[in-house]
Amino acid sequence: MECGQQLSMLKKFLEMQFIAIELNLYLDTHPCDRDALNDFNCAVDMLTKHKKAYEEEYGPLFNFGFGGHSGEPWEWAKGPWPWEL
Amino acid sequence: MWIYEKSLERPVTISRPDPAFAKLVITQYGGPDGELSASLRYLNQRYSMPTDKAKALYECWHRILQAKLILCEYLYIPAQP
Repeated sequence: MECGQQLSMLKKFLEMQFIAIELNLYLDTHPCDRDALNDFNCAVDMLTKHKKAYEEEYGPLFNFGFGGHSGEPWEWAKGPWPWEL
Repeated sequence: MWIYEKSLERPVTISRPDPAFAKLVITQYGGPDGELSASLRYLNQRYSMPTDKAKALYECWHRILQAKLILCEYLYIPAQP
């Protein structure tokens, strides 16, 4: 089913997001750890890459402010929603 | 301030219905020490935190809401055959 492909692309994005959030929380209390900062910046770059790839294929992950313009017709309200994947 | 991302932190799959476990999930969702109260606690406590580091507690609130949405999905998703 097509959902399987969508889910696997989404998982790549989510994995990188998880790494970014964990490093974010760590850096909140260890702001001078240069290794962690480098890891964080790498994770953010990868995250951006995965996000772009996913959105090109399956539509926006955010309704506005963090993506591009909407294609026609309006893409945001189109399923499947996260709990339907 | 509030941004919804069209994905879960982690996808959920349910292999069989389990009412006993569902009861635990509901308690974790909205019970006395559940995610609902924890998320509001983190969100509100940050105002009186003395340092910037501690104010970043706000991010824990974000994590907890994510956990909450995952729990919510556990309750919603029908078991896969």
